[in-house]
Amino acid sequence: MTRHSDSRLRSTVIRVEFVALLAALALFLSTVEYLIPKPVPFMRIGLANLPLIIGLGLLHEREYLLLALLKILGQGLVTGTIFSYIILFSFGGTVSSAFIMFLLYRYGRRYVSLVGISIAGAMASNITQLQLSRVILFGDAARFIAPPFLMVGFATSIVLGLFAERFVSRSSWYAEHAQQEHLA
Amino acid sequence: MKQIRLGDIAIFIVSIAIIAFSLGRFTDFSGEPQVHVRTDGGEFIYDLGVDAFATFNGPVGETSIEIKDGKVHVHDSDCRNKVCISAGWVSRVGDWIICLPNNVFVLIEGAVAQETGGVDDTAF
Repeated sequence: MTRHSDSRLRSTVIRVEFVALLAALALFLSTVEYLIPKPVPFMRIGLANLPLIIGLGLLHEREYLLLALLKILGQGLVTGTIFSYIILFSFGGTVSSAFIMFLLYRYGRRYVSLVGISIAGAMASNITQLQLSRVILFGDAARFIAPPFLMVGFATSIVLGLFAERFVSRSSWYAEHAQQEHLA
Repeated sequence: MKQIRLGDIAIFIVSIAIIAFSLGRFTDFSGEPQVHVRTDGGEFIYDLGVDAFATFNGPVGETSIEIKDGKVHVHDSDCRNKVCISAGWVSRVGDWIICLPNNVFVLIEGAVAQETGGVDDTAF
Protein backbone atom coordinates (compact mmCIF):
# COMPACT_ATOMS: atom_id res chain seq x y z
CA MET A 1 0.00 0.00 0.00
CA THR A 2 1.44 3.35 -0.95
CA ARG A 3 1.81 6.21 1.42
CA HIS A 4 -0.79 8.14 -0.52
CA SER A 5 -3.56 5.54 -0.28
CA ASP A 6 -2.62 4.95 3.33
CA SER A 7 -3.33 8.57 4.21
CA ARG A 8 -6.52 8.43 2.19
CA LEU A 9 -7.62 5.40 4.14
CA ARG A 10 -6.86 7.16 7.36
CA SER A 11 -8.86 10.22 6.39
CA THR A 12 -11.79 7.96 5.45
CA VAL A 13 -11.63 6.37 8.87
CA ILE A 14 -11.59 9.81 10.48
CA ARG A 15 -14.63 10.86 8.47
CA VAL A 16 -16.51 7.74 9.54
CA GLU A 17 -15.74 8.78 13.09
CA PHE A 18 -17.25 12.16 12.29
CA VAL A 19 -20.38 10.42 11.06
CA ALA A 20 -20.61 8.51 14.32
CA LEU A 21 -20.00 11.65 16.38
CA LEU A 22 -22.48 13.80 14.46
CA ALA A 23 -25.09 11.02 14.42
CA ALA A 24 -24.74 10.72 18.18
CA LEU A 25 -25.20 14.48 18.44
CA ALA A 26 -28.30 14.22 16.24
CA LEU A 27 -29.67 11.48 18.49
CA PHE A 28 -29.10 13.63 21.55
CA LEU A 29 -30.64 16.71 19.96
CA SER A 30 -33.62 14.65 18.79
CA THR A 31 -34.16 13.75 22.43
CA VAL A 32 -33.97 17.38 23.49
CA GLU A 33 -36.33 18.31 20.68
CA TYR A 34 -38.76 15.61 21.74
CA LEU A 35 -38.85 17.00 25.27
CA ILE A 36 -40.03 20.41 24.08
CA PRO A 37 -43.83 20.51 23.95
CA LYS A 38 -45.32 21.32 20.56
CA PRO A 39 -48.90 21.64 19.33
CA VAL A 40 -48.36 19.10 16.56
CA PRO A 41 -46.12 16.05 16.96
CA PHE A 42 -44.24 16.52 13.72
CA MET A 43 -43.82 20.28 13.99
CA ARG A 44 -40.10 20.59 14.50
CA ILE A 45 -37.67 23.15 15.76
CA GLY A 46 -35.04 21.33 13.76
CA LEU A 47 -32.39 21.01 16.46
CA ALA A 48 -31.29 17.68 15.02
CA ASN A 49 -30.55 19.45 11.77
CA LEU A 50 -27.51 21.07 13.37
CA PRO A 51 -25.19 18.06 12.90
CA LEU A 52 -26.18 17.97 9.25
CA ILE A 53 -25.21 21.63 8.83
CA ILE A 54 -21.91 21.16 10.62
CA GLY A 55 -21.24 17.94 8.72
CA LEU A 56 -21.35 19.79 5.41
CA GLY A 57 -17.74 20.88 5.72
CA LEU A 58 -16.47 17.58 7.07
CA LEU A 59 -18.05 14.79 5.04
CA HIS A 60 -18.19 13.48 1.50
CA GLU A 61 -21.42 12.54 -0.27
CA ARG A 62 -21.69 8.99 1.01
CA GLU A 63 -20.88 9.79 4.60
CA TYR A 64 -23.27 12.70 4.48
CA LEU A 65 -26.05 10.46 3.21
CA LEU A 66 -25.20 7.95 5.93
CA LEU A 67 -25.42 10.71 8.54
CA ALA A 68 -28.83 11.77 7.20
CA LEU A 69 -30.12 8.18 7.38
CA LEU A 70 -28.75 7.77 10.90
CA LYS A 71 -30.47 10.98 11.92
CA ILE A 72 -33.80 9.62 10.64
CA LEU A 73 -33.18 6.38 12.49
CA GLY A 74 -32.31 8.25 15.68
CA GLN A 75 -35.40 10.46 15.45
CA GLY A 76 -37.56 7.41 14.87
CA LEU A 77 -36.07 5.69 17.90
CA VAL A 78 -36.45 8.68 20.19
CA THR A 79 -39.99 9.56 19.17
CA GLY A 80 -41.08 5.94 18.93
CA THR A 81 -42.38 6.43 15.41
CA ILE A 82 -39.84 4.21 13.71
CA PHE A 83 -42.33 1.50 12.77
CA SER A 84 -45.23 3.80 11.96
CA TYR A 85 -46.07 5.79 8.86
CA ILE A 86 -44.97 8.96 10.68
CA ILE A 87 -41.36 7.99 9.95
CA LEU A 88 -42.18 8.87 6.34
CA PHE A 89 -42.38 12.52 7.34
CA SER A 90 -39.04 12.34 9.05
CA PHE A 91 -37.55 10.55 6.07
CA GLY A 92 -38.95 12.90 3.45
CA GLY A 93 -38.01 16.00 5.40
CA THR A 94 -34.49 14.96 6.26
CA VAL A 95 -33.61 13.58 2.84
CA SER A 96 -34.87 16.63 0.95
CA SER A 97 -33.23 19.06 3.36
CA ALA A 98 -29.93 17.14 3.31
CA PHE A 99 -30.04 17.05 -0.48
CA ILE A 100 -30.67 20.79 -0.83
CA MET A 101 -28.10 21.73 1.80
CA PHE A 102 -25.43 19.49 0.30
CA LEU A 103 -25.97 20.88 -3.20
CA LEU A 104 -25.95 24.47 -1.92
CA TYR A 105 -22.76 23.87 0.01
CA ARG A 106 -21.01 22.03 -2.78
CA TYR A 107 -21.89 24.39 -5.60
CA GLY A 108 -22.92 27.63 -3.93
CA ARG A 109 -20.49 27.99 -1.04
CA ARG A 110 -19.18 31.29 -2.39
CA TYR A 111 -22.59 32.89 -2.50
CA VAL A 112 -24.33 31.50 0.52
CA SER A 113 -23.45 31.21 4.21
CA LEU A 114 -24.56 28.49 6.57
CA VAL A 115 -27.49 30.71 7.57
CA GLY A 116 -28.90 30.64 4.04
CA ILE A 117 -28.17 26.93 3.77
CA SER A 118 -29.96 26.31 7.05
CA ILE A 119 -33.03 28.28 5.92
CA ALA A 120 -33.12 26.50 2.57
CA GLY A 121 -32.81 23.13 4.30
CA ALA A 122 -35.63 23.92 6.72
CA MET A 123 -37.90 25.17 3.95
CA ALA A 124 -37.17 22.09 1.83
CA SER A 125 -37.88 19.83 4.79
CA ASN A 126 -41.10 21.61 5.75
CA ILE A 127 -42.45 21.87 2.22
CA THR A 128 -41.76 18.18 1.65
CA GLN A 129 -43.52 17.29 4.90
CA LEU A 130 -46.47 19.52 4.03
CA GLN A 131 -46.80 17.86 0.64
CA LEU A 132 -46.60 14.46 2.32
CA SER A 133 -49.30 15.48 4.79
CA ARG A 134 -51.40 16.69 1.89
CA VAL A 135 -51.13 13.30 0.22
CA ILE A 136 -51.29 11.06 3.30
CA LEU A 137 -53.38 12.87 5.88
CA PHE A 138 -55.19 16.10 5.31
CA GLY A 139 -55.78 16.61 1.63
CA ASP A 140 -56.28 20.22 0.63
CA ALA A 141 -56.66 21.27 4.27
CA ALA A 142 -52.87 21.04 4.56
CA ARG A 143 -52.92 24.72 3.64
CA PHE A 144 -54.20 25.55 7.13
CA ILE A 145 -51.18 23.92 8.68
CA ALA A 146 -48.70 25.43 6.25
CA PRO A 147 -48.24 28.99 7.62
CA PRO A 148 -47.35 28.23 11.26
CA PHE A 149 -45.34 25.22 10.18
CA LEU A 150 -43.28 27.23 7.69
CA MET A 151 -42.88 30.24 9.97
CA VAL A 152 -41.60 28.23 12.91
CA GLY A 153 -39.13 26.41 10.68
CA PHE A 154 -38.01 29.65 9.09
CA ALA A 155 -37.36 31.35 12.43
CA THR A 156 -35.58 28.43 14.08
CA SER A 157 -33.48 27.70 11.02
CA ILE A 158 -32.06 31.24 11.11
CA VAL A 159 -31.02 30.77 14.73
CA LEU A 160 -29.54 27.34 13.99
CA GLY A 161 -27.73 28.71 10.94
CA LEU A 162 -26.21 31.55 12.97
CA PHE A 163 -25.13 29.08 15.62
CA ALA A 164 -23.57 26.77 13.03
CA GLU A 165 -21.78 29.67 11.35
CA ARG A 166 -20.38 30.76 14.67
CA PHE A 167 -19.34 27.24 15.59
CA VAL A 168 -17.64 26.67 12.26
CA SER A 169 -15.71 29.93 12.41
CA ARG A 170 -14.59 29.45 16.01
CA SER A 171 -14.05 25.75 16.57
CA SER A 172 -10.40 24.78 16.23
CA TRP A 173 -11.52 21.16 16.01
CA TYR A 174 -13.63 21.98 12.99
CA ALA A 175 -10.93 24.15 11.42
CA GLU A 176 -8.37 21.40 11.72
CA HIS A 177 -10.51 18.71 10.16
CA ALA A 178 -12.31 20.79 7.57
CA GLN A 179 -8.94 21.81 6.15
CA GLN A 180 -7.74 18.24 5.97
CA GLU A 181 -10.47 17.37 3.54
CA HIS A 182 -10.16 18.65 0.03
CA LEU A 183 -13.74 19.62 -0.44
CA ALA A 184 -14.88 21.83 -3.23
CA MET B 1 -17.20 33.74 6.06
CA LYS B 2 -19.28 35.61 8.56
CA GLN B 3 -21.08 38.24 6.58
CA ILE B 4 -24.41 37.72 4.91
CA ARG B 5 -24.04 36.96 1.22
CA LEU B 6 -26.10 37.40 -1.89
CA GLY B 7 -27.41 33.81 -1.82
CA ASP B 8 -28.55 34.26 1.77
CA ILE B 9 -30.63 37.25 0.80
CA ALA B 10 -32.09 35.38 -2.16
CA ILE B 11 -33.00 32.38 0.00
CA PHE B 12 -34.43 34.71 2.64
CA ILE B 13 -36.66 36.49 0.13
CA VAL B 14 -37.83 33.27 -1.52
CA SER B 15 -38.69 31.82 1.89
CA ILE B 16 -40.65 34.93 2.88
CA ALA B 17 -42.48 34.73 -0.45
CA ILE B 18 -43.40 31.08 0.15
CA ILE B 19 -44.67 31.89 3.65
CA ALA B 20 -46.65 34.86 2.33
CA PHE B 21 -48.16 32.60 -0.32
CA SER B 22 -49.14 30.03 2.31
CA LEU B 23 -50.68 32.81 4.41
CA GLY B 24 -52.64 34.05 1.42
CA ARG B 25 -54.13 30.60 0.98
CA PHE B 26 -54.70 30.39 4.70
CA THR B 27 -57.00 33.40 4.86
CA ASP B 28 -59.01 32.36 1.84
CA PHE B 29 -62.28 31.46 3.51
CA SER B 30 -65.71 32.90 4.16
CA GLY B 31 -69.16 32.01 5.41
CA GLU B 32 -70.52 30.23 8.47
CA PRO B 33 -67.95 28.14 10.33
CA GLN B 34 -68.28 24.40 10.10
CA VAL B 35 -66.38 21.68 11.90
CA HIS B 36 -64.80 19.27 9.47
CA VAL B 37 -63.57 16.01 10.93
CA ARG B 38 -61.38 13.88 8.69
CA THR B 39 -60.85 10.35 9.85
CA ASP B 40 -60.05 6.92 8.50
CA GLY B 41 -63.78 6.46 8.06
CA GLY B 42 -64.22 9.53 5.90
CA GLU B 43 -65.03 13.17 6.42
CA PHE B 44 -67.78 14.43 8.73
CA ILE B 45 -69.13 17.96 8.84
CA TYR B 46 -70.84 19.61 11.80
CA ASP B 47 -72.30 23.04 12.31
CA LEU B 48 -70.22 24.91 14.85
CA GLY B 49 -73.36 26.64 16.15
CA VAL B 50 -75.09 23.39 17.10
CA ASP B 51 -73.93 21.53 20.20
CA ALA B 52 -72.88 17.99 19.40
CA PHE B 53 -70.85 15.06 20.63
CA ALA B 54 -69.37 12.51 18.26
CA THR B 55 -66.95 9.60 18.42
CA PHE B 56 -64.67 8.45 15.61
CA ASN B 57 -62.66 5.30 15.11
CA GLY B 58 -59.02 5.35 14.10
CA PRO B 59 -55.94 3.11 14.04
CA VAL B 60 -55.37 3.22 17.83
CA GLY B 61 -58.94 3.44 19.09
CA GLU B 62 -61.64 6.01 19.58
CA THR B 63 -61.46 9.78 19.51
CA SER B 64 -64.43 11.81 20.61
CA ILE B 65 -65.06 15.47 19.99
CA GLU B 66 -67.50 17.84 21.64
CA ILE B 67 -69.05 20.97 20.14
CA LYS B 68 -70.49 23.43 22.63
CA ASP B 69 -71.25 27.16 22.58
CA GLY B 70 -69.63 27.67 19.20
CA LYS B 71 -66.40 25.94 20.21
CA VAL B 72 -65.02 22.48 19.62
CA HIS B 73 -62.50 20.34 21.47
CA VAL B 74 -61.31 16.77 21.62
CA HIS B 75 -63.06 15.30 24.62
CA ASP B 76 -61.19 12.03 24.79
CA SER B 77 -58.80 10.00 22.66
CA ASP B 78 -57.12 6.63 22.94
CA CYS B 79 -53.80 7.95 21.72
CA ARG B 80 -50.65 7.96 23.81
CA ASN B 81 -49.64 11.61 23.93
CA LYS B 82 -53.06 13.26 24.32
CA VAL B 83 -51.74 16.25 22.41
CA CYS B 84 -55.16 16.66 20.82
CA ILE B 85 -56.92 16.90 24.18
CA SER B 86 -54.43 19.39 25.57
CA ALA B 87 -54.98 21.54 22.50
CA GLY B 88 -58.18 22.65 24.23
CA TRP B 89 -61.12 24.49 22.71
CA VAL B 90 -60.93 26.11 19.29
CA SER B 91 -63.54 28.32 17.71
CA ARG B 92 -62.15 30.40 14.84
CA VAL B 93 -62.17 29.55 11.15
CA GLY B 94 -58.80 28.05 10.29
CA ASP B 95 -58.24 26.63 13.77
CA TRP B 96 -57.52 22.93 13.88
CA ILE B 97 -56.76 20.06 16.22
CA ILE B 98 -54.99 16.91 15.16
CA CYS B 99 -54.74 13.51 16.73
CA LEU B 100 -51.95 12.15 14.61
CA PRO B 101 -51.73 8.63 16.07
CA ASN B 102 -55.44 8.09 15.56
CA ASN B 103 -55.55 9.95 12.26
CA VAL B 104 -58.32 12.32 13.31
CA PHE B 105 -58.14 15.84 11.97
CA VAL B 106 -60.57 18.45 13.28
CA LEU B 107 -60.69 21.66 11.30
CA ILE B 108 -62.98 24.67 11.40
CA GLU B 109 -63.70 25.85 7.90
CA GLY B 110 -65.85 28.57 6.47
CA ALA B 111 -68.63 26.98 4.48
CA VAL B 112 -68.31 27.68 0.78
CA ALA B 113 -71.20 28.43 -1.54
CA GLN B 114 -71.44 24.94 -3.02
CA GLU B 115 -72.02 23.40 0.37
CA THR B 116 -74.68 25.79 1.62
CA GLY B 117 -76.21 27.75 -1.22
CA GLY B 118 -77.23 24.99 -3.54
CA VAL B 119 -77.35 25.16 -7.29
CA ASP B 120 -79.28 28.37 -7.85
CA ASP B 121 -76.58 30.77 -6.77
CA THR B 122 -74.23 29.94 -9.56
CA ALA B 123 -76.22 28.03 -12.19
CA PHE B 124 -77.44 29.87 -15.26
